[in-house]
Parts: sequence; structure tokens; C-alpha cells
Amino acid sequence: MNQKMKGIITKVIFAILALALWEIVAKSGVFGEKSELVFPSLEAIGSAFIRNFTVGYADISLMTYIINSMKLLFEGLFLGILLSFLFSGLSMISKTFYYIYDLIVTVFDLLPGVALLPVVIIIVGVKPGIVVLLVVHAVLWPMSRNILDGFKSVPQIYIEAGRNIGLRGAKLLLGVYIPAATSYIVSGLKVGWARAWRGLISAEMIFGLASCPGIGLFINQMRTNMNNAEMYATLIVIVIIGLFVQYAILEPIEKCTVKRWGMSR
Amino acid sequence: MMDDIILEVTNLSKTYDNNTENEKNVIKSLDLKVNRNEFVCILGPSGCGKTTLLRCIAGFEGFEGSIKVNGKETVEPDTERIMVFQDFNQLFPWLTVEKNIQYALKLKGIKDKKKLKQMSDEALAKVKLEGNEKLYPYQLSGGMKQRVAIAKALALNPTILLMDEPFAALDAMTRNVLQRELLDIYEKEDCTFIFITHNIQEALVLGSRVIVMKEGGNIVVDEENSIEKPVKPSSPGYGEMWNRMHEALY
Repeated sequence: MNQKMKGIITKVIFAILALALWEIVAKSGVFGEKSELVFPSLEAIGSAFIRNFTVGYADISLMTYIINSMKLLFEGLFLGILLSFLFSGLSMISKTFYYIYDLIVTVFDLLPGVALLPVVIIIVGVKPGIVVLLVVHAVLWPMSRNILDGFKSVPQIYIEAGRNIGLRGAKLLLGVYIPAATSYIVSGLKVGWARAWRGLISAEMIFGLASCPGIGLFINQMRTNMNNAEMYATLIVIVIIGLFVQYAILEPIEKCTVKRWGMSR
Repeated sequence: MMDDIILEVTNLSKTYDNNTENEKNVIKSLDLKVNRNEFVCILGPSGCGKTTLLRCIAGFEGFEGSIKVNGKETVEPDTERIMVFQDFNQLFPWLTVEKNIQYALKLKGIKDKKKLKQMSDEALAKVKLEGNEKLYPYQLSGGMKQRVAIAKALALNPTILLMDEPFAALDAMTRNVLQRELLDIYEKEDCTFIFITHNIQEALVLGSRVIVMKEGGNIVVDEENSIEKPVKPSSPGYGEMWNRMHEALY
């Protein structure tokens, strides 16, 4: 049995055991009256999962909430990634820009998006654009930090080999720095995506926008109405989307780049 | 025959860590002239300034003095002076063998795909690496990587090929094979070679001229290598020249 198969089987066994444990706790009624709320049975969560998509909340299917969230998420991700490449790239061209941007990244990376929410609301008002801004905030700084670290770790020999064949300035950046820093960029994408996803759900939970209801708002509505099975089912949806992005988007990117080039195991 | 000077280094000085307590004057007032199509081997102890000289010629280091190639002052790297490094990892790992060569050619303005393919195939044939075009650098041995680096350099048709101990980290057998191949290439190409080595035998086998450099870039020996090619330890004059180089070095 190869290592990959062994890993998959271990994960599957662990997941089955965790679900079995959940079901035992749910059936045991260990939490008394609250038991059904804290630990709804797997059957209840399963049927709530289907109900979320067929009935939804207030006649709006969970799918609509997902689409709304995804739209905002991808807008923010796209902008965040674009800006992180732009600013990190400029940092490699201008030393002065690097010093300033390095400081900005260090400062803003420490600020949780949710903490910035009141400030953003005062400036922008309550609009879907706020969520996009928070996603940009969530992705821009970790992504920039990774890209900058990646650029700084590019072996000198690649830079000299690039200069030797005529690469300068932006061409050197595109031709050497970016491909040589790909493993850092992919790692930044993973961190950026995870932060953006969490930031989005948090923002939607704190102030759900009726004009653009997202998954966070759906969870909050389920919590308010004590529909805990539906709430857990939505959490599962969040995990499924996360896993989909990880295994269907980010991993193939890694496989087609750094793994293919022998730059990562 | 009138000398046809391709490289003229005048009063070259190079100091590292200027105005600090670690300030080191690696090269002091070095003068060197190299003729077209010469194969100059530079021998010298570690830290004597051989690599620094090559890096100055390649345009990777700032310096005082003057370096002229074909009579033209040079300060920046250019494809007329291509450097082959000692480090095996000088190829871009994200490009295949042929793309490494073609990328350099594209930057030189060659856009036609057929032409690019033909040129990269020709360059790889020169270093006997046909059939390895689609491999990535991590799939190559150290010797193969150095061959690709030489092929890439040759494809660019440089005026001067600067080689900084390219075979130093190879095993003795591969090193001998590559020396023979490089000599074949030298005989066929219209190119001037400047080759750094610590190995006297290598300098005598490859060089048409051998220079011994000492501390501060001081040239203590500068001799034509008149030993008939292919040079073997049994070749007439080999022992005497080897001794002269050895004495100058140690």
C-alpha cells in the first residue's frame, strides 16, 4: 500500500469514528433537554442539509446564499490577489516602495478584518462592497507577505542568469522572480483563501445584508430561530466548499507548477 | 599575424565592503588583453580574484577601470558575454531543457517557433543532449545540467563565453568527457572562451593560453599553450608547463 492510499484510509477511518462518536453522544442525551440542540442526530443534520437546498429560509434556497457569498468572495479574492502582485512587484522594483509597503503589510496583517468593520461601515456605509473590502483585507496582506518573502528568497543565481540573458526590471520580475517564488505564492494563495473565506463568513454573520444575503447570514438566521440541525448542515456546506477549493483548485495549481518543476515534494 | 583584441581590461580594481572594516581590495589595477577566439584558462588560489574578474567582465559587479569588448565599454550584463556558472542550479527549474534555451533566444528577438525549435535542437546536439528536450532540470544529472547551460550559452552566439569552474563539482570521468566536448565546441565555434579552474591539468587540456593569478588579481604567469591538442600527460612539453604552473601557484 502506498503512502498516499494509507493517508486517505487513515483520514476516512478517523472521519467515520468521529461521526460515530457524534451519533453516540447525540443518542445518549448526555446534555439533557439541550441535547437535541447541541448534538442533533446525524439523520436530523442530513435531512436539514437537503431542506436547506430545497426549502431554504424564507423561500430562498441555501444555493442562492452560496452564490451571493461566492460572488463577493471571488470579487474580493481577485482584487486582493491582483493588488498583492502589483504592490509586491513594485516593491522589487523600488526600494523606497518596498520599505513603505513592508511596514504597511506588517501593520495591517495584524488587524483582524472584523475589528476594521466599524471603521469601514462609517466610511463606506452598509453595502455589499464592505464584504468585498474585508475579503481584500483578508487576502492582500498574507498574500503580499508570502510573495515578498518568496521574492527575497529567489536564489541569486536565477537573478544573474536572468540578467545575463537580457532580463531587466519588470521583465526580470515576470521572467524570474514570480516563477521562482511560485511555491511561496501558492502557499500565500492557500493562506489568503482560508482567511478570505473566514473573513467573509464573519462579516456576513455580523451584519447580514438583506440585499445580498450570504452563507454567514443564513447561519445566523438558523441560530436565531434555533434551527440547529440546519445550522450544522450549513457548517458542513462551508467545509465542503473549503475542501473543494483546496483539492479541486489549489492542489491542481500546485501539481501543475512547483511539483511538476521539482521545486516541491 | 596581427592581434585581434576582443577584450581589453585596463586598470581594473574591485573593492568589496567599501569604507567598512571588512573592506577588501580583491583586484588591484589589473590589465588584460584577450584575442578573438582564444581559449584563456585562468588558474589561481581561492580568493585571488578570478571569479570577481569574470563577474566584472560579465557585468554583474561594479568596478573601477575599464572593460572593453570589441572596443566598446561595458558595464551591464549582455548576451555578447554569457556566463556559465559553477552552480548546477543555473537553469530555470520551471522551464524544460529546450524552453530554457528557447526563452533566452526569444529575449534576443527570435519569435518564430520553428526557428526556435531548430536552434535549441542544434544547441543541444552540440553538447550531445538530443532526446532530453522535454526534461525539467531536476530530472538531469549535474553534468547534464552543465551541458544544457553551455548549450544555452552557445545558442545565444556570444562573443565571449565566461566559464567559472563549470566542471569543478563533477566526478573525474564526467569532467574528462565534458572537457573533450568543450574542446570540440571551441574548435567549431567562433567564440572566445575565458575559463576559470583550479586544476592545472584542465587548464593545459583546454587552454590555448594559460594565466596564473595571485592575490589582488596579480597576473604572475601569462603563457601561450603550445602543447599539441589533444593534450595528454605524455604530450611533449606537458610536464615542463605543468611544473611552471605549479611553481607559480604554490
